[in-house]
Amino acid sequence: MINVQDIRDTARDLLAKGEVRAVIGWRAGSRGMAAEPCVVTKPEEADSLVWDPTCYHNLALQLVNDRKDLVHSKKTATAPIGIVAKGCDARAIVVLLQEHYFKREDVYIIGVSCENSGVLDERKVKAQVGGFAPSAAAFDGDNFSVKTAKGDKKLAGREVMADRCLECRTPFPKENNTAFGDDKTGREFDAQFAALARFEANDEAARWEFWQRQFDRCIRCFACRSVCPMCFCDECVVDSIEMKIAPETTAEEKANRIRWIERSAVRSENATYHMTRALHLAGRCVDCGECERVCPVNIPLRLLNTKMEREAREAFGFDPGASIGGPSLVASFRDDDPGEFIR
Amino acid sequence: MSMEKTLDKALLSDWIAAVTSGGWQVHGPALEDGIWTFKPVAASVDLDYPNVKQAPKDFAFPQREIFFAFEHIKGEAPRLKEVKPEAPQCAVFGVRPCDGRGAVRMDKVFSDNVNDPYYQERRKNTAYVGLACNAPPSPTCFCKSVGGSPVSSEGMDILLTDLGEIYIAQAATKTGEALMAAADKLFGKMGAADKKQLDKVHADAVAAPQRAVKDAKGAPAALKAGFDSAVWEEMAKPCIGCGICTFLCPTCHCFDINDEMTGMSPLKGQRVRTWDNCQFPDFTMHTSGHNPRETLGTRLRQRVSHKFRYFHENFGMLQCTGCGRCVSECPVGIDIVAVVNKVAEHVA
Ligand code: SF4
Ligand code: SF4
Ligand code: SF4
Ligand code: SF4
Ligand code: SF4
Repeated sequence: MINVQDIRDTARDLLAKGEVRAVIGWRAGSRGMAAEPCVVTKPEEADSLVWDPTCYHNLALQLVNDRKDLVHSKKTATAPIGIVAKGCDARAIVVLLQEHYFKREDVYIIGVSCENSGVLDERKVKAQVGGFAPSAAAFDGDNFSVKTAKGDKKLAGREVMADRCLECRTPFPKENNTAFGDDKTGREFDAQFAALARFEANDEAARWEFWQRQFDRCIRCFACRSVCPMCFCDECVVDSIEMKIAPETTAEEKANRIRWIERSAVRSENATYHMTRALHLAGRCVDCGECERVCPVNIPLRLLNTKMEREAREAFGFDPGASIGGPSLVASFRDDDPGEFIR
Repeated sequence: MSMEKTLDKALLSDWIAAVTSGGWQVHGPALEDGIWTFKPVAASVDLDYPNVKQAPKDFAFPQREIFFAFEHIKGEAPRLKEVKPEAPQCAVFGVRPCDGRGAVRMDKVFSDNVNDPYYQERRKNTAYVGLACNAPPSPTCFCKSVGGSPVSSEGMDILLTDLGEIYIAQAATKTGEALMAAADKLFGKMGAADKKQLDKVHADAVAAPQRAVKDAKGAPAALKAGFDSAVWEEMAKPCIGCGICTFLCPTCHCFDINDEMTGMSPLKGQRVRTWDNCQFPDFTMHTSGHNPRETLGTRLRQRVSHKFRYFHENFGMLQCTGCGRCVSECPVGIDIVAVVNKVAEHVA
């Protein structure tokens, strides 16, 4: 087990020596049980950092935000930024590096291994207590003790662990400047793509019926997009913010500004949104499962993204987030690509 | 309250059947795909639920409303066709008191200063049958500290209170009385013992501890004084700028209007109103490309100030009813209670 004090000491040290300008990590949340992302800038704040199974957020997103802030405020970074990163966070950082979003020397990665654990899936807890939210959860290494309006419960870690963690084979952040916890790379509580395989056991009609029900429920809050570290586009297909209107812009140009997807949250538009996003993530999604976690209406988005991940794996041998030097799926060409679909 | 009666729990489904045959579509909380949502009720309804994920505001203010359809054949005058809302009578069972108070606030927006015929048509056909919260159903509830109460009947047509074997049904409006009168024989007289028990349950409910906005009365002034506080950007740091906090809120009412094309030749389509929200990047985008609320801090300030200051300036009441949805559902733990408290602390 990781001693959280080690993480705090490292952060304090780096900040005190000026080796990083801030450390992105987790602190105890104000609302009750879950941790929340935070940015520590002073050495004396380092003791607020926490590490537990409610640290589910992929903090690589905060790196993207930091970069956007720098660009927006036209500032240059005085020192690298530190980040506490789980295995999946580190895989996301690797993809960002592959895509040259920032440079390796811009980040200082304090890796934390999930070892034989992973993050809690609040939904699985809720499912055990009629949909009521837990108000507190303590983890002893094997079991969770949770408090809910329906009484207290002790739940086995594996039973309430997020699917992505059950399927995870890289619980150790290979890309790091320093790391804590044992390297359990290759551990597998559930086969990779197991959730997808379970779903694909249904026939086509049942699958389409399922997706219609899911898409109909989407409220298009775009949390799935906004929480994704790989969805860093300034101009996303869903909000056209780059259209500038000048005196000479005609009414037609304004009326016909590109709207790939209408604002209405109806099946056709919702489905288009989700298909588009899935395609934009092919070979890039690192399966951190954040989109699925944040969806307020429980749409199982991992089923779409892991499907694309498996395609990229099977057709081109791609493993997103595995190595910085490796090629990226959409920006590379190989003479020996199977290309069976090109005739 | 004028009409107060008892209802044996076993008779709830008979009452729902009577309401249905009176021409109402009955909706109630249902657990589907792992979330509690208001769904049409076929037989009976499960009233053992935490607050429903999405506030019932969409009964009067749906996420998508068609205003009119248009068609333009070249060489002819454009044709417009008004689309009137199809607003069936809906009786919504299991509305929590914070959401009843939410409806009061939505009414202010769409009926006080402006007359929104689409909203009003739907609202007048909607009845809320609330359920008092004998204990806070969620750890994030904070209705008491913003002027509400877990047993409030504001905005409700009827308030039900669970007394174990029976419900006490208290009508708060004429519509509520009519809904009860439609099945008069199912209801019993509320005796002195029932009344005593009701008072005790309500008193205990009000005494149950909750999280709290420390000084809600002082919040409008504190937020005004703290408009330029550095706290906003600091608290908004992890915010992802999504639509969760606003779309799930019982009182968020911002919308966008777009023409959605259904054909190009001839040109035809519909003018549609859809929910919008102040956390999206294009919400305040000007045509020039300038965006006065470009940062997440300025957007968080807008949302919180609307709830705790601007609405108060406009209507003399806080807009937030303390349902706690934005707190429990925020993917990164941004907590409106903590934000208001912190800004107030900084200006104190
Ligand atoms: S997916 Fe792997 S690295 Fe990420 S939280 Fe789960 S176990 Fe840890
Ligand atoms: S998070 Fe869920 S509801 Fe929101 S846009 Fe994504 S799929 Fe739709
Ligand atoms: S905020 Fe109050 S009224 Fe709303 S669900 Fe919680 S206890 Fe009930
Ligand atoms: S406060 Fe939370 S729910 Fe609201 S926009 Fe920000 S991240 Fe989304
Ligand atoms: S601001 Fe948050 S707590 Fe207040 S009414 Fe809206 S969703 Fe509920």
